[in-house]
Amino acid sequence: MQIDFKHRLSAHCESGVSSNLLFHYGVDISEAMAFGIGAGLFFGYLPFIRINHLPLTTFRCEVGGILKRLTRKLGVKMHIEKFRNPEKAMAALDRSLESGIPVGCRTGAYWLPYFPSAFRFHFNMHNLVVYGKEGDDYLISDPVFPETQRCAREDLAKSRFAQGALAPKGTMYYLTHVPEDIDLRGPICKGIKAVCRRMLNVPGPIIGVRGIRFLAGQVEKWPRKLGKRKASLYLGQLVRMQEELGTGGAGFRFMYAAFLQEAAGILNEKRLLDLSAKMTLVGDLWRSFAVIGARNCKSRATESDSSAAMADILRDCARKESEIYQELLTVVKTVRNGY
Amino acid sequence: MLKRYAMDIKEKLKHILIETLNLEGFTPEQIQNDDLLFGDKFGLDSIDAVEIVFQVEHHFGVKIRDMKEGRPALQSINTLAAFIEARRLP
Repeated sequence: MQIDFKHRLSAHCESGVSSNLLFHYGVDISEAMAFGIGAGLFFGYLPFIRINHLPLTTFRCEVGGILKRLTRKLGVKMHIEKFRNPEKAMAALDRSLESGIPVGCRTGAYWLPYFPSAFRFHFNMHNLVVYGKEGDDYLISDPVFPETQRCAREDLAKSRFAQGALAPKGTMYYLTHVPEDIDLRGPICKGIKAVCRRMLNVPGPIIGVRGIRFLAGQVEKWPRKLGKRKASLYLGQLVRMQEELGTGGAGFRFMYAAFLQEAAGILNEKRLLDLSAKMTLVGDLWRSFAVIGARNCKSRATESDSSAAMADILRDCARKESEIYQELLTVVKTVRNGY
Repeated sequence: MLKRYAMDIKEKLKHILIETLNLEGFTPEQIQNDDLLFGDKFGLDSIDAVEIVFQVEHHFGVKIRDMKEGRPALQSINTLAAFIEARRLP
């Protein structure tokens, strides 16, 4: 049994799944637009949450947040369910598929056999769409792969019930109502506002632009505080979170820039084009940080690839991002007054 | 001419990978154009992908910002050279 589901490649799993699920029901919005309306952009350095025994740094909002905000802002209704029992979770998935409903699942990427081994590590926030079943195999639209995949029942169940931090607990979701006419202008403005407020105004030192500055201080201290080996493990985790898992800091900044570019057209607001270009440059900065980080992890660092150099780049990112969010808030305020 | 240009990119890429990723023990001749860059042969992982993206921009002026494009491009020397060629030619 196979649902006629259009598989489209994405840069990031949750925004890709969101965009693809909506497309299935006739709402054609890009991945970047889904990410922007869903207010996916974020920064948090969360040392008390450990992934592979190393502190978590996140460049995107909480798991499921993009889809939740996107559907709410567009007036789309979604059913979401968690399970304790893998058998019950798989049975619920089967029932939905039999009813012709494509189902989003949250999974642990490590247990998905089609992930290449070089890119596989424990990451419990990976989203995909199951759109059919043939024998014991499920048909998977995993948006970070160019082609659709197959996954044996046992592997999918294991992946849906992966253990560890942010365990998916069998989470599955599907859309139950999609409005016929959707005006994107209001949701775009609300999405921008949510990101700006979070990046500028959340109290405490570890979230938003303050969090980026805090991380800069930590990166500078790590070699002295933790020793070379452990510092390089911390950096490795950071670079992986930034550049690979779901595309990370630089990738999310590039995606947000693409969203602002699209939003400029929809809202007829040229200032957003300028801010889009600035956000792209910030993405480039994040990437130069990652390059130095990667060199340090792999013992390829030269004299100029120091912790101080990385910290300086992070402080520059914080300063530039702060300016962008402040300008965005001004733009959104005037745009919203216009209609 | 186009073929020669593509060949130059592949050769240059092999030298860059060996020099910047410390692929000790490899010569350009030992890197086949369709070898998986992130397979067992070279021992490269996602962190090395960051350096490759940087080197591609540095040496060829081609930016890989969208990983939707980047992931397929980073499969092998062939795919990376094709990506660079497509982005560099008008």
